[in-house]
Amino acid sequence: MSPRVEFTLLRLWHAALAGGFVVAYVTADEDTYAMHVFSGYWVLCALTLRLALALIGSSSGPLRLPRPKFTWAKPGRNPLFAWMAALLLPALALGALTGVIADGVPVAEDLHEAIAEAGLWLVIAHGLIIAWIFQGRRIREFLTGAAALLAVGLISLPAWAADPAIAAAYGKEAGETLSAARGEALYLSKNTASADFASCSTCHTPDPRAAGRHAKTGRVIEPMAASANAKRFTDAAKVEERFTRDCQTVLGRACTAREKGDYLTFLMMK
Amino acid sequence: MMKKLALLLCLVASPALADFAPPITDPLTKAACGECHMAFQPAFLPARSWDKMMANLADHFGDNATLAPDKAAHIRKVLAESAADGPQGGRMGHKILSRLRADETPLRITETAAFLRKHRLPESEWKRPDVVTKSNCVACHKTAEKGIYEDD
Ligand code: HEC
Ligand code: HEC
Ligand code: HEC
Repeated sequence: MSPRVEFTLLRLWHAALAGGFVVAYVTADEDTYAMHVFSGYWVLCALTLRLALALIGSSSGPLRLPRPKFTWAKPGRNPLFAWMAALLLPALALGALTGVIADGVPVAEDLHEAIAEAGLWLVIAHGLIIAWIFQGRRIREFLTGAAALLAVGLISLPAWAADPAIAAAYGKEAGETLSAARGEALYLSKNTASADFASCSTCHTPDPRAAGRHAKTGRVIEPMAASANAKRFTDAAKVEERFTRDCQTVLGRACTAREKGDYLTFLMMK
Repeated sequence: MMKKLALLLCLVASPALADFAPPITDPLTKAACGECHMAFQPAFLPARSWDKMMANLADHFGDNATLAPDKAAHIRKVLAESAADGPQGGRMGHKILSRLRADETPLRITETAAFLRKHRLPESEWKRPDVVTKSNCVACHKTAEKGIYEDD
């Protein structure tokens, strides 16, 4: 069996067991007794099935039930997995079996309850350990990421909408009045410098109010028009960096200050 | 209270076996390398590959990704830190390295043996219009930017 199939089986089995256990736990009251008995047998069947799965699983696959060890041969599975299985499976089996007995011999009820209670704590510990193994790093990463994002957001908050000073600075540098019409012509112009990117609109789309797509990487590019994208042209350094690259790519040369100013003027009026 | 706890457990109790590569957290690197494509997780390539890539950003797969020298130096450090063979490479880094020859310096993640092994997909998958290129991880892995490549 491929590991993929084995993992799927393991997941299905795990869902069946966890579901059965939870149902048994919440239906322990007298008035839901039938359901409780049913889910108890369900858990018992699931546990038996687990042993059968271990027999048909491949020798190093996820269905195997390894003997728990104290050492960890890296790379390899965390030894806690084997320990959890070794503790949880017998504990749940004991809980289910004493339940069967208690069904006929009521004095066994106290024992059954105690074992089931202990089982729940084991399950909780199991959940926390799994969360720690698999999610701990992700949660930490998420928290630092969120903090960084928040910091960046706070710093750049005052400059959210397109900054007309950026275009104005290009206009001053060029010493000419800027023209949206010339900007539009540049935006749509077809060029020959690059086989892949004939035009600015190849990536930014002919309609600047629509989202574009990088013609080579497939990544979505948010709309260029300032009216359609509040984050446009807010950072002079970024604008200049992109002009440097994108003009070189499409035109095979740098854009002049007038061209840059025209281009921004066009997109800020759109 | 215990019953609620038990129900909650049921919700989270599905074995999480996702394949994970730690995403870039450094804001400068994330912005500079996440502009034209998603910011690829450094663990997918060894440090020597990132060094080679950062040394020639003017010709970056036919595109121009030039950065100011001080920015580039900083990013190079960040990438090396979490590269496959870096201190933060993690399990994904280990998998990449284990299939890489010592004399190999791939520039494309999509040409590493570890990637190819996991991506023997029918041609029709690659031809899907929203895929565009193999390196467009997000087209197939919705959570790729978070570094989660769970196969589904
Ligand atoms: C290869 C694809 C591609 C082509 C072709 C292209 N660009 Fe870009 N452009 C991008 C990407 C990617 C960004 C950054 C993503 C973003 O800002 O949303 C960008 C951003 C910009 C920005 C910065 C916007 C801002 O908010 O700061 C300007 C200015 C720009 N491009 C100008 C041009 C010009 C002028 C041309 C044509 C000469 C052009 N681009 C052609 C991909 C392209
Ligand atoms: C100006 C746009 C641009 C910027 C900025 C950029 N890249 Fe790229 N990158 C590309 C293009 C285009 C490709 C080729 C995509 C393809 O052919 O699939 C690419 C491909 C890659 C690939 C190879 C993907 C594969 O096929 O496995 C890596 C790795 C990469 N870039 C890393 C980086 C890093 C690191 C940075 C930050 C220093 C960066 N890129 C910045 C445009 C860019
Ligand atoms: C055309 C769709 C497609 C693209 C594009 C794609 N992948 Fe995948 N990827 C898949 C599929 C499908 C699988 C599952 C293969 C399997 O289970 O055998 C997979 C599996 C993986 C895995 C292994 C996951 C696991 O659970 O073992 C990793 C890691 C991965 N991809 C990373 C990437 C990265 C990084 C990129 C971008 C550079 C990428 N993929 C681009 C379709 C894609």
